[in-house]
Amino acid sequence: MKLDRDQVKPAEARQGKAVPEARLLRKQAGDWLKQRRSEAGLSQVDLAARLGLKYYTFISQVENGFSRVPTETMEAWATQLGLDPSAFAKHLLVYYEPELHRLLFGTKP
Amino acid sequence: MNVIAFERTRIAGAWSEAELIIIVGTLNDGRLWDTGVTENGDAQLYLLGPDPEQACELCVSRLGGRYILEDGAGRLLFEHRSLPLVAMHARSQLRITRWSLVARIVVVWCTIRDVIHDRVEPLIGESEELLVHLAPQFAAFV
Repeated sequence: MKLDRDQVKPAEARQGKAVPEARLLRKQAGDWLKQRRSEAGLSQVDLAARLGLKYYTFISQVENGFSRVPTETMEAWATQLGLDPSAFAKHLLVYYEPELHRLLFGTKP
Repeated sequence: MNVIAFERTRIAGAWSEAELIIIVGTLNDGRLWDTGVTENGDAQLYLLGPDPEQACELCVSRLGGRYILEDGAGRLLFEHRSLPLVAMHARSQLRITRWSLVARIVVVWCTIRDVIHDRVEPLIGESEELLVHLAPQFAAFV
């Protein structure tokens, strides 16, 4: 298969498209998670080990803003970062589901 | 005789163009993708879903000389030293996702047809029967 050089650039770079809002918000969530992890004194490898993951790559996937913290692991994630699970989930909702957060808690993020 | 084991060169850092060509060329479906690195500088490639979410559907990471394939929820799907093999697994994984979507559409279509058959057709049949009974009376009246 022959590809030209332009095809090995990410799609947005090729098309000059703007990054969607949902993706920007996930990135902000990732930055917030990274900050909390640093404050807890954990590396990505440490956190992955504590969450029972074989590789630490998923932590990076989430912190880089490409995936969300899965709902079923939110409690464990919060506990390992030394945070209250309820407050942790509520804060992540600001980024992951801003409209739902506004409806539930009545404030704009 | 002494046999010296040669260590495979550890590739680290961002993706090389050759690696990107292997992955993107194997998938070759116009899908959005992006790259990143972990805290330790290991390369990651994210295959993204459609707008507006553009969430990660599959992620290929390079850890030392190993390539790791995970889905967007962190489930480990495949790992191997051969990137072409990992890329092929990623492609088949995306096809599974596409076929499950087709299967869901077929199920919804069958359900709609079933509802039409059970609920709507008897109503149409009843009104047709009513029309057959009343039509001669209307005709006589006119």
